[in-house]
Amino acid sequence: MPNLTTIISVAGASFAASFVEAVEALTVVLAVGLARGWRPALSGAAAALVALALIVAILGPLMSVVPIRALQFVVGVLLLMFGLRWLRKAILRAIGIVALHDEDAAFARETRELSEAGRGVAHGFDWVGGATAFKIVLMEGIEVVFIVIAVGAGRGLLGVASAGALAACVVVAAVGAAIHRPLARVPENALKFAVGVMLSAFGLFWTGESLGVAWPGSDAAILAFIALFLAVAFGLVALLKPRAAALA
Amino acid sequence: MIGAIVKELIGLFVDDELLAAAILCVVALVSVLTLSGVAPDWLAGLLLTLALPAALAASVLRSARRAAPRK
Repeated sequence: MPNLTTIISVAGASFAASFVEAVEALTVVLAVGLARGWRPALSGAAAALVALALIVAILGPLMSVVPIRALQFVVGVLLLMFGLRWLRKAILRAIGIVALHDEDAAFARETRELSEAGRGVAHGFDWVGGATAFKIVLMEGIEVVFIVIAVGAGRGLLGVASAGALAACVVVAAVGAAIHRPLARVPENALKFAVGVMLSAFGLFWTGESLGVAWPGSDAAILAFIALFLAVAFGLVALLKPRAAALA
Repeated sequence: MIGAIVKELIGLFVDDELLAAAILCVVALVSVLTLSGVAPDWLAGLLLTLALPAALAASVLRSARRAAPRK
């Protein structure tokens, strides 16, 4: 039976990671809606959600067939690659080597490109706008599905992880529908930093457990791994930020 | 569009190729050592705990050395 620490970690990681993905999807869907019209924006997003539901419906039953050790190993390695990639990029952004992601700038760029693109209208439907909304919602949605499976499957907490992701998507969609602007004030790099740390910690834990490692403290070891990756990440930022600033 | 989606899917896991390769090498090495019985479980855990953050640090330091600041 997973303890409260694990449940909160799984829900928190799933919520924060899905929040970032949903914000990115919202930016592009809003750009499609304002530049090409709400019909292709909402149709494309809805079609992507149907495609995602099909993917989940097909992959879902397979999860119970795969032995738990094999599942933990595959998920653990993928989590390590996914989480450390996010963490690396967040560190480079914090140092100033890679530019921070700017939702306002992304929104302006998408809107301009979509406005300049050919109409692409066939049978009364704007396929350029629809395809753009479809692609971004599908891509970010696949990331959300992966995150839910990755953080939830190893301990049978898919329901908790799904609830965290669903809550994040609902919050972002509700705020986006209310203000009709990208959520530029969300501290995206800080969120990515935190999520990268959490996903890397989960990846290390699952990978080790799948190889038979009996981590000291059992699930509480995840907290130690979070502290470890945080220390490494903050240490790298503290070491490299002054150098990058001096060279700028 | 399918090609672009596949490319982006791979991009979810691989950004810095050397970091991705380092993660796979560490996991493969520890798996071989553990499954062959050469390394006890605690050593496998210790190797993972030390090598993965080290791979991250090496990747960041390499990028910092190579990249022009605030590009």
